[in-house]
Amino acid sequence: MSFFGFGTTADIDVVLDGSQTRKYVEHKTEDGRKEKYPLYYDGETVAGKVSVSLSKAGSKLEHQGIKIEFIGQIELYYDRGNHHEFISLVKELARPGVLTQSTSFDFEFINVEKPYESYTGANVKLRYFLRVTIVRRLTDITKEMDIVVHTLSTYPEVNNSLKMEVGIEDCLHIEFEYNKQKYHLKDVIVGKIYFLLVRIKIKHMELAIIKRETTGTGPNIYNENETVAKYEIMDGAPVRGESIPIRLFLAGYDLTPTMRDINKKFSVRYYLNLVLVDEEERRYFKQQEIVLWRKADRVRTGGQADESTAWGRDYQA
Amino acid sequence: MSSEDSVKQPQTQLSPQEEQEKLLDEALQVVKVQSFQMKRCLDKTKLMDGLKHASNMLSELRTSMLTPKSYYELYMAISDELRHLEIYLCDEFQKGRKVADLYELVQYAGNIIPRLYLLITVGVVYIKSNESCRKDILKDLVEMCRGVQHPLRGLFLRNYLLQMTRNSLPDCPPNENPEPVKEGEVEIRSGDIKDSIDFILLNFAEMNKLWVRMQHQGHTRDREKREKERQELRILVGTNLVRLSQLEEVNILRYQKLVLPGILEQVVSCKDAIAQEYLMECIIQVFPDEFHLQTLNPFLRSCAELHASVNVKNIIIALVDRLALFAHRDDGPGIPNDIQLFDIFSQQVATVTQARQDMPTEDIVSLQVSLINLALKCYPEKIQYVDKVLETTVQIFNKLNLEQFLENSSAVSKELSRLLKIPIDSYNNVLTVLELKHFAPLFEYFDYDSRKNMSIYVVNNCLENGTEIPMAEQTDQILQLVSSLVQDQADQPQEEPDPEDFSEEQNLMGRFMSLLNSDNPDQQYMILNSARKHFGNGGNKRIKFTLPPLVFSAFRLAFRYKEMSEEDDKWEKKCQKIFQFCHQTISALIKAEYSELPLRLFLQGALACGEVSFENYETVAYEFMSQAFSLYEDEISDSKAQLAAITLIIATFERMSCFGEENHEPLRTQCALAASKLLKKPDQCRGVSICSHLFWSGKTREGEGTEMNGEASPERGEPKELQDGKRVMECLKKGLRIANQCMDKSVQVQLFIEILNRYIFFYEKGNEAVNVQVLNQLIEKIREDLPELDSSEEMDQINKHFQNTIEHLRLRQTSPESEGPSYQGLEI
Repeated sequence: MSFFGFGTTADIDVVLDGSQTRKYVEHKTEDGRKEKYPLYYDGETVAGKVSVSLSKAGSKLEHQGIKIEFIGQIELYYDRGNHHEFISLVKELARPGVLTQSTSFDFEFINVEKPYESYTGANVKLRYFLRVTIVRRLTDITKEMDIVVHTLSTYPEVNNSLKMEVGIEDCLHIEFEYNKQKYHLKDVIVGKIYFLLVRIKIKHMELAIIKRETTGTGPNIYNENETVAKYEIMDGAPVRGESIPIRLFLAGYDLTPTMRDINKKFSVRYYLNLVLVDEEERRYFKQQEIVLWRKADRVRTGGQADESTAWGRDYQA
Repeated sequence: MSSEDSVKQPQTQLSPQEEQEKLLDEALQVVKVQSFQMKRCLDKTKLMDGLKHASNMLSELRTSMLTPKSYYELYMAISDELRHLEIYLCDEFQKGRKVADLYELVQYAGNIIPRLYLLITVGVVYIKSNESCRKDILKDLVEMCRGVQHPLRGLFLRNYLLQMTRNSLPDCPPNENPEPVKEGEVEIRSGDIKDSIDFILLNFAEMNKLWVRMQHQGHTRDREKREKERQELRILVGTNLVRLSQLEEVNILRYQKLVLPGILEQVVSCKDAIAQEYLMECIIQVFPDEFHLQTLNPFLRSCAELHASVNVKNIIIALVDRLALFAHRDDGPGIPNDIQLFDIFSQQVATVTQARQDMPTEDIVSLQVSLINLALKCYPEKIQYVDKVLETTVQIFNKLNLEQFLENSSAVSKELSRLLKIPIDSYNNVLTVLELKHFAPLFEYFDYDSRKNMSIYVVNNCLENGTEIPMAEQTDQILQLVSSLVQDQADQPQEEPDPEDFSEEQNLMGRFMSLLNSDNPDQQYMILNSARKHFGNGGNKRIKFTLPPLVFSAFRLAFRYKEMSEEDDKWEKKCQKIFQFCHQTISALIKAEYSELPLRLFLQGALACGEVSFENYETVAYEFMSQAFSLYEDEISDSKAQLAAITLIIATFERMSCFGEENHEPLRTQCALAASKLLKKPDQCRGVSICSHLFWSGKTREGEGTEMNGEASPERGEPKELQDGKRVMECLKKGLRIANQCMDKSVQVQLFIEILNRYIFFYEKGNEAVNVQVLNQLIEKIREDLPELDSSEEMDQINKHFQNTIEHLRLRQTSPESEGPSYQGLEI
């Protein structure tokens, strides 16, 4: 551990209060894996205990002070050097001195504001973490610990159905209807497609959920589209007058709430893309933005739901 | 798969069929592998993995490459495998697994085909484990299936839905007074019969739409193939109706109010001939007759609204056949009295005909055929119904304003024949048929050939059933009806008919004569007169066949009068008339330049006359005999025919006993004369020899008014055999003389032997003019001549004849009969 041979080093361990009972959720890491992190909400106190254990019993550790920070930051991948911290809180755990034995420090950030949802995207990452630093003359000893924040919303007050007639003149006219414009993440999109005129030979129809991540500002805006879900809703060619039902469960997909202009750095928006494919593989589509929001979990029963979502994702692939 | 793809090279072209087999094999291979994996996972209770393999397997059903037949095979294989999943899930849920989650879970499948198959499988398990949401699930399933709009895939998917739900549909009456749902309670929505009906009707409508849509897809040149494929798939659509019919709670009322209107609406509105034709028949076949009886009007009304190319007649005929069968069933209640089955059909058929202006005439007639069937089967006692149908048919033809007769080979003609044959076959009594006023008029529309064929049919029916015609009026009617067999027709073909066919036809009429039979002799006489009128106009060719049986029938009638002479004091006059009638009738044959036939009839008449022995019968018999003679003399010229004729005359005359000496003498002299005048010597010889019998067993009545035994004598004396041995000998001697003149030795010997036999005959009868000496002489003569003859087959026969004769004599000699004459001194 100590390449420089300057005596004693120490291991830092952070244990959050109530870690036995706190909910852990999966969250995507930058390399695409998923890991479980403790879950916090906006305004919730983040408290716990920092343990510093000396590597060798009986040795001493000299330091310039020990502190713990609570940081919320946005990293843009194209600008790795600059992290934009939108929250940075510090608590001093110990004044400069010498540690002669392993010691624990309690800490508490009371009612911390956590305005944004944790997010790992294609070009941007928003994360919350605790960082313990033992300040030393040459190299500090630090330890970071990520937590995940979910932002909860309440039911939108206005949530009309989304209804629209679209088409290509003398070729295809359809009317589609989605039951809402705003869906929570475990919601079901219910709707129907009504065929008013069909003069092309349709092979099938699918509904896709597209995630659009926008980063940067001004001339440097960068859009990244990702098809999160692709769902066949019709097989074969309908005739005039047919109405095709839509029912798409969102729970099975990897979705986040819609994020608009987060700290003026990025946005994540979702679109429903209705695509008709004809026999010559030509695609006719219509995109509609939908707003996704996170609803507070009801008390759910056991892990079965998790299993099902996991399966759902595999199944998609 | 992918590695296979990559090595695929332009191979030798596969035939379409081989291509299909290959594709199917590949798909089945995938099914095999995936289902195996699925089952393995399920065995290890890895449900999610099991579902994934099930989904992979189901993805094979997404193909567009298979023909309906191959697709069906694939579908069957897969639905078999899905059974395992279903059973597994049922077990799981019994163990308490949550169903609702799974119902959501399977809907994450990205492709709609596997998704919906799984949804159905899970949904049905859901229903089985918990009926309280059955109503909603059924509705959801049938609605979600709308997502598959591809006809073939959609049909099979919905078929799967139908198969899976077959035991799970609610089949109970609706709860009329549901208890209000209390707060905190979940409403139980297990559904009722109405939900089931809605469910199936919707599925049916959707399947039918898909099925109809197939017709309009693809290239027009493949139309035939497509229609064939559609026919192969029709059972899938029809199964919906079967399912409806299997629901206990679909009673007459619900059938009338909900089920049938729903089906008919879809059938009519789809405007597709194949579908309409099949589904209408399907309705008829799957629902019970009691239902049909209550819904005849709407059903038949819909028939009028079907596509022009639908064969409506087949549909109506199918219905009629069913109901007719129903009416006939022994254990059935029969047709309820309040349903005027015939009237309803009659009316609706008229409407259908009216509505379909372009309906071919043969089909219109076919409908009448079905009506007549209905009338006959359901109301066998109501002849007027049958006649009503015939009347309608007459009206139909009147409206058509046909400019010519219906050609024999035409479809209309065939249908009309069918129509007319039905009452014939069903009554099997031509008299009943004659009661149908509009039966005969329909014959007028046929051309000659059809008319003749129908006539033959009528006559054959009479013969097969032995239907006797007991009235002159009926005789008249029926002969009028079958006039194409009786008389020449204005429209008959110019060329001569095939002689064999012609004689067959006319023989038929001859046989038919024997059916003209009344118990009442006076009526019978009228019948004969009526028949005579018709047949008399038959022309020379026909009367040869028809008049002789008529004459015989007249003879029989005379005998009947004789039998009942005590009841009818005018019988003699009547017999006189009958023989006049016969004379006239036979004379008609002479006019037609027949000779042998009238000759025989005259002889037969003379015999009959003699036996009936009415007043004046001798004169009449004499007339008949003399007519026979003059025919013989004037008309018969062929020597063989002459011999045959004179033999017949002599034989007839020999049998008769009605003549007094005054008439007998000239006749027998005439016979002898005629015989001796035959041209050929052997004929002469034989003729003269036969004549010998006249002088022996010929009978006369001698001594008018002779008192025989004190009783009041009959008008004439009893007949008495002549037994004039001398004359007999004269005849035979003359025969020998003529035989001697024969140049051909073998014929001569033959004649000698024949005469020898006659000698023996008379010797044994006690003719004293014949003696052993005479016999010896002749035998000796024959014995001298025989060896001189060259041997031949003919000679063998002659020899044999002689040997037999000698053998007979020897037998008589050794063991004489008690009353026979002695053969003493005979030299054998």
